[in-house]
Amino acid sequence: MRYVLQKLGFYVAALWAALTLNFLIPRWMPGDPVDIMISKLATRGPVTPSTRHAIELLLGTDSQQPLWQQYIAYLGQIFSGNLGTSVVYFPTPVAKVISQTLPWTIGLIGIATIISFLVGIGLGTLAGWKRGSWLDNVIPVTTMLQSVPYFWLALILLFAFGSVWQVFPLNGGYDVYTTSIGLSWPFISSVLYYGTLPALTIVISSIGGWMLGMRNMMVSTLSEDYILTAEAKGLKPGRIMRTYAARNAVLPSIAGFAISLGFVVAGSIVTEAVFSYPGIGSALLQAVNSNDYALMQGIFLVITLSVLGANLLVDLLYTIIDPRTRARA
Amino acid sequence: MLLFTRRPGRRLAWTAAAVASVAALSLSACSGSDTAGANGASGSAITVFNGATGTITENFNPFSPTALQPTLGVIFESLYWYNLASESEPTPMLATGHEWNEDGTELTITTREGVKWNDGEPFSAADVAFTFNLVNETPELNTTGLAATAEATDENTVVLSFTEQSFMQEPEILGNRGIVPEHIWKDVADPVTEVNSNPVGTGAFKVKSFSAQSYALEKNADYWEEGKPAIDEVRYISLETADAASAALTAGQVDWMSAFLPGLEQLLKDQEDLAYVNTPALTTSIYTCSNAELGCEGPQTDVAVRQAIYHAIDRTQLNKLAGGGFAGEGSPTLLLPERDAKWIVDPEHKVAPQTADTATANKILDDAGWTLGADGIRVKDGQKLALTIQTVTGWSDYISLNDAMRQQLKEVGIDLTPTQLSWNEWNANQTGGTFQLSLDSIGLYASPNPYYPYNQRYHSDNTTPVGESAISGNFARYSNPVVDAAVRAAGSTNDEAEQLAQYAIVQEQIVNDLPYIPIYINSTLTEFNTSRAEGWPTNDDKYAFAASWKAWDNGIILKTITPVTQ
Repeated sequence: MRYVLQKLGFYVAALWAALTLNFLIPRWMPGDPVDIMISKLATRGPVTPSTRHAIELLLGTDSQQPLWQQYIAYLGQIFSGNLGTSVVYFPTPVAKVISQTLPWTIGLIGIATIISFLVGIGLGTLAGWKRGSWLDNVIPVTTMLQSVPYFWLALILLFAFGSVWQVFPLNGGYDVYTTSIGLSWPFISSVLYYGTLPALTIVISSIGGWMLGMRNMMVSTLSEDYILTAEAKGLKPGRIMRTYAARNAVLPSIAGFAISLGFVVAGSIVTEAVFSYPGIGSALLQAVNSNDYALMQGIFLVITLSVLGANLLVDLLYTIIDPRTRARA
Repeated sequence: MLLFTRRPGRRLAWTAAAVASVAALSLSACSGSDTAGANGASGSAITVFNGATGTITENFNPFSPTALQPTLGVIFESLYWYNLASESEPTPMLATGHEWNEDGTELTITTREGVKWNDGEPFSAADVAFTFNLVNETPELNTTGLAATAEATDENTVVLSFTEQSFMQEPEILGNRGIVPEHIWKDVADPVTEVNSNPVGTGAFKVKSFSAQSYALEKNADYWEEGKPAIDEVRYISLETADAASAALTAGQVDWMSAFLPGLEQLLKDQEDLAYVNTPALTTSIYTCSNAELGCEGPQTDVAVRQAIYHAIDRTQLNKLAGGGFAGEGSPTLLLPERDAKWIVDPEHKVAPQTADTATANKILDDAGWTLGADGIRVKDGQKLALTIQTVTGWSDYISLNDAMRQQLKEVGIDLTPTQLSWNEWNANQTGGTFQLSLDSIGLYASPNPYYPYNQRYHSDNTTPVGESAISGNFARYSNPVVDAAVRAAGSTNDEAEQLAQYAIVQEQIVNDLPYIPIYINSTLTEFNTSRAEGWPTNDDKYAFAASWKAWDNGIILKTITPVTQ
């Protein structure tokens, strides 16, 4: 119990530090959101000298308030769930922008990461168990695919499967012409269809790491005494591979998996850019480009919370998975 | 955690899950066929990409600066429409006539009869009066500095009363303000943050459906122009990059989009369904921080240097290298030589020299005291003729321009160093004046009248010393009392001949001082798919400014095109 409380206390401190940085960093960036909005408007049509005053009033940019006052107000707003109003998508509240984009990102990148982890671990287990087999040759291929720049791989696959062979769609999250958002089979099947190619690129480019790590851990686990005991006892090879060897070998990978889950939200910008997927990455990019403090802070907050949450979850899960850590608790 | 523990039926469960997911994927692959933009069972539909990237948030409020693009022009209309693509009189839309009084303090507008809002209510002059009064009373919405009250004197007449002479407000009032219905907007609690989800407008289309990824407009059956629009549905989508846009275009998924695709002619060579139009409207220019008195530093504050740059660059080569061959010839008067021919007074100043005139450039620099140094770069009073020019990372054509100009200017002894910055930083430098040279473009005002660019870019009221934000537009920190007086005089009259006389004075000054050095007229390329709809603007018939992102013109084009009959 004390262990859990200690952990929670540490994470609360980490959260406070993250929130403070989240507040300060956007304000150190050059440029003023009002000027930026006006310059952007000026590229599309006429902008008159009085536009600046109007937009200043519109956005209510009280940048005249001293910094610490803004900070206190910011903390208060966070804990009451009010993330502010976006500048880029004025007058939509930040919470709404996040709620309409976050599910897509978590859905696509989250599921792709989980699939990549499971397949990578599975193949790594087999490669470690059957050392010297053809599976060992798969590893250099997957690690090479991982080291290829992700956007290049995504573009090539999109061109091949979207333009040349026309197996998968070129862009979008679902078929906007025939379905609309809702819990209906046409919508769900459309989402699966449109998400297959982006998920495939993510899986292909990240599977190498899991496979390599798992195989190496398997190889070192297989030299342990208890594996020899299990073999001597006459247990089936398959059972030894899964219940004895893999179960111990997967522990370091689980920590890595938790970290990568935490970064699901942040790591989607390139995927969304290539596939025009309606996720949160492009909202973040627009927010950064327009000095939209509120939206930037809202998204950074989501990223921070998900990273901290995933880490906390795995920390606690570890005590359950590995009985050896429980002994000291 | 009981990982990999063998339990009866577990293997079966995994297998079943695998089979189910494969089945789901294969089924969805069959049913989710990409019939983008195909004719629905009920009528003709087209797809437009207007530059929207990322998620779409609902905002059909015509007063809001972040309103969705079709709000202005397709759903709501203005009183007149100004064609910026070619020289023409303003087209009456919701108004059929207008007249100023002698002093320029009263504008009487006659509104069109027989117009209905798309909820069935009749349109009248009271709606126009309400719109302008709302703008006047709400400072957050008053982006044009309107200082007028409006009154509907009868069913079809509105009188706007200004506090001072306001001839130059005309295009903003008549051409850049969407009219809203009084019967809806008088009950709106906060017109500033109103999202206006089911917009009631007079335009040719109304909103059919909306989602964060795409929205669709459908035909307004009560539209005031008989027989229009001919298209039943218009769908807007969001794409992230120009690559995605060109892939969608060649796959036949998009009917109308505007993107600069450098190999456009090559791309369209084998595609019979695709066409394009080029409506050049923005003059790509080198902005210089030109006024040493307001704090500018560097050799570009010397007018001889600016003139030398003007003569030394080879515009034909720049067009080939950076403009893709699509750019038009620029003018030192910062106007468009074809569309604005009547406003360019001296025919010598109509078009900038298209080839490099190094002899003139060298002579100008020699006469000003810049002597050629041993390394080929000129020096004067110990100061080298070295300049930095800034542009935005990712603007590949401008980056090519900078690189090409670097070599061209080396011939006359000018050392040009291009830098690439993020948009925020680049913009902050321009507005703050902390730059020497910057590559940007000028153009696209409410009407082709030169008052607007001259006022915004050259009048000293619109500038500030270096270090303060000159967001009003005179980034070059140009301050010339002769120009100031002439611009003011031009703005205080409605008589075109008198304005022309004042512009002659302005042009004489700016052609000499060159605080903005024009390069060429940047192309605005718009691509069309002609297999589902026809009647798009063509290079021979530019009946509107065709860019898919242009407000007001988008409405004109959407109601002009007709479906292709199979």
